[in-house]
Amino acid sequence: MMANMGIAFAILGAALAACLAGAGSAIGVGIAGQAAAGVTTEDPAKFSKVLILQLLPGTQGIYGLLIAFLCLSNVGVIGTPVEISLAKGVMYFFACLPMAIAGLMSAIYQGKASVSCISMVAKRPDQFGKAMIFPAMVETYAILALLISLLAISGVGAINI
Amino acid sequence: MAVLQMQRISICALKKDRKQILELLQRRGAVELTDLPLQDQVFGKPDTQEQKSLFEKAASTASQAVEVLNEYVPEKSSMFAMFEGRRAISAKEYDALCGKRDEISETASHLVSLSKKIAENRAELVKLQTQLDQLAPWAGLDVSMRFTGTRTTAAFIGSFAEPLTLEELYRRVAELAPEVQAVNIDLISQSNEQTCIMAVVPRGDAPALEEALRSMGFMRPPSPSKLPPSEQIGILSQQAKEAEVAVQSAQAEIISQAKARESLLFLSDYYTMRAERYQAIGCLSQSRSTFLLTGYIPKPDAAALEAALTSRFDLAVELEDPGEEEEVPCALRNNGFAEPVEGVLESYGLPLRSEIDPTPIMACFYYFLFGLMFSDFGYGALLCIGTGLVLLKFKNIEPGLRKMVKMFFFCGISTAAWGIVFSSYFGDVVNVVSRTFLGHEVSIPPLWFLPLNDPMKLLVFSMAVGVVHLFTGLGIQLYLHIKHRDYKSALCKVIFWYMLVGGLIVFGLSTDMLVSVLQLPFAVPAGIGSVFGWVAAAGAVGIVFTNGDSANPAVRFAQGLYELYNVTGYLSDILSYSRLLALGLATGVVGSVINQMGSMGGKTVPGVILFVLVFLVGHILNFGIELLGAYVHCNRLQFVEFFGKFYEGGSRPFSPFAAHTKYFKFKEEN
Repeated sequence: MMANMGIAFAILGAALAACLAGAGSAIGVGIAGQAAAGVTTEDPAKFSKVLILQLLPGTQGIYGLLIAFLCLSNVGVIGTPVEISLAKGVMYFFACLPMAIAGLMSAIYQGKASVSCISMVAKRPDQFGKAMIFPAMVETYAILALLISLLAISGVGAINI
Repeated sequence: MAVLQMQRISICALKKDRKQILELLQRRGAVELTDLPLQDQVFGKPDTQEQKSLFEKAASTASQAVEVLNEYVPEKSSMFAMFEGRRAISAKEYDALCGKRDEISETASHLVSLSKKIAENRAELVKLQTQLDQLAPWAGLDVSMRFTGTRTTAAFIGSFAEPLTLEELYRRVAELAPEVQAVNIDLISQSNEQTCIMAVVPRGDAPALEEALRSMGFMRPPSPSKLPPSEQIGILSQQAKEAEVAVQSAQAEIISQAKARESLLFLSDYYTMRAERYQAIGCLSQSRSTFLLTGYIPKPDAAALEAALTSRFDLAVELEDPGEEEEVPCALRNNGFAEPVEGVLESYGLPLRSEIDPTPIMACFYYFLFGLMFSDFGYGALLCIGTGLVLLKFKNIEPGLRKMVKMFFFCGISTAAWGIVFSSYFGDVVNVVSRTFLGHEVSIPPLWFLPLNDPMKLLVFSMAVGVVHLFTGLGIQLYLHIKHRDYKSALCKVIFWYMLVGGLIVFGLSTDMLVSVLQLPFAVPAGIGSVFGWVAAAGAVGIVFTNGDSANPAVRFAQGLYELYNVTGYLSDILSYSRLLALGLATGVVGSVINQMGSMGGKTVPGVILFVLVFLVGHILNFGIELLGAYVHCNRLQFVEFFGKFYEGGSRPFSPFAAHTKYFKFKEEN
């Protein structure tokens, strides 16, 4: 029984990475979309600019997907099946956590930053370059989490337990 | 290849030439006018506000007329219309259209009034339709709805809010008013919502019947017509028909004016230009017969303009270098390789007078970093072909947009190159297709290594790129300090930092811990490592003791320590370049996920169809999102990490007095 739990933990980790980061992105893109729709009502010409700002918090979901996919393919749910010990499964679980948690929170807050930057572009369309940087600052932490999750997953694969 | 040097230009000329001179300046678009505050007994300022708003109004009428045309005769525009740019108009065409401007103005106001007429008639139609709807149930009544009876009889015209039959009506009246003997009820119309009737009784029974009807829920019509409803309906329908005809004829007239679109666009541009010219006149100082104009002009353009002016008019032109304290507008000029990223620099801020134009250096790093983050041969090739076609096909594209398209062209080349280095072709499409559909797996070997197999190696490489980028930034700061002969700052703000950060890095590479964490294939010998450790220590000491500016030595020391604390900033800056790895991997891995999903159908006909569909949709999405990511994060690395080391920016962009038209380009007179 316990021997089979390894893979369950690994899938739990992958599911969390995809779910939480995806949910965060959904929230972020959602609130940014509301603001973007408001601006586009007033001035349809700003559509492409506010669309880009709306999309910025969407990357966490993709990072989550990436980590989930790597984890699933490492434990053999996708591709060739592999034997996963309990300890290793739990390791995969923890390796997924940075992406899951940091993805969730950073996407929400990036969405909020995007909302403010969308209203900034509404008033000063010439400041688009700057408006893009503020949400991108938040994303840095999602990228750092992605990095750690990536390194951890590929590292766990090399450990023999 | 740098910031253009600006000169202050002053022109003193005769007032009779004012129009021609301003026209020439506007067409050349080389001078930014400054508002001359000179006002005394001789010189005054003309008030041009009224004229200017008059022209602005004319321009907006023309634009409105174009909008009216666009509504009724939509112009077919291709997807790539944004790349087409403004059409150039020859001097001959210009003069011809100019001569007809009153005529065109009339067309414009006529179009606007037609559209107003359509709107009014449409409102009228809605009103008439409501009235007709209200009258419809009464169509069968052949007396006026206000008819109350004859001398001996009383008539009640009205409705009940329920469906009632004639039988039912008679029964209820008989129940509620048994004393009423002779009553005649006519059913005019009946529907599920209401029953319309007309009841006639002798005058004497009228009160009793009214009482009975009221208790049954009888209601008189809210707005009874004077004429019998059938006639009223006829009149209203006639009016509606007339309104309809008016709308249609106005529409037909608008459509017949479709050819005027070009000339209306011209008119809008023409009056915009004239309004701008009047704004320019507001910047001048005028005496009775002369005027004075001052502004900034880029030095390379100055001689040509001076020659053009003096050959045509009697005037005096004076050029001088602006003073040290003056706030001079900034314009950039770069070669074809660096020019495209000027837009990125502009969105951060143009260089101050004390700074240099970092565009050429930034361009190299920009393309390099962008490619590293996007890093896929397929996507890079797509980007290259797409932007290349736009550049080839649309020669007339607006300069700002062309810069951006060109930037993505160079970025595409870099992306494709990095794709070959890391063997990424739409993710791993070569492997997947050959494995699934051809039976044996083929893979293109990477030029260097596969990032997914050795992410640590790419991480170290990313950070090394980061160190080079940051040190280049510091190098520019060093150059600026030396250029301004500020050797003290050069030493304590740059050299010491080079010693500290560089020394720490080399020292770190000699320690076992860092070498094993980073999985480096080499280690710096301990001897050299300790030498660099001492270099770093010397740098740190230098920073602590030279960076304070307080008179109090204790406070100065504290300030120095605080400055030293910035070393953590360098650490986070270098780590920030790990996004190169993360984004680069994300492109490849998401691409592989798409390919894998597509190949799930196996080697069958539906499997191939599934693969093609998933491949197209998936890769288009991935392309878009990763392109956005690479663009945003490339900008960030330039703005935050690179510019943070040496660049402030914030100069006022050079905005010359020119024809800021929307639809046409007016060429310099030949």
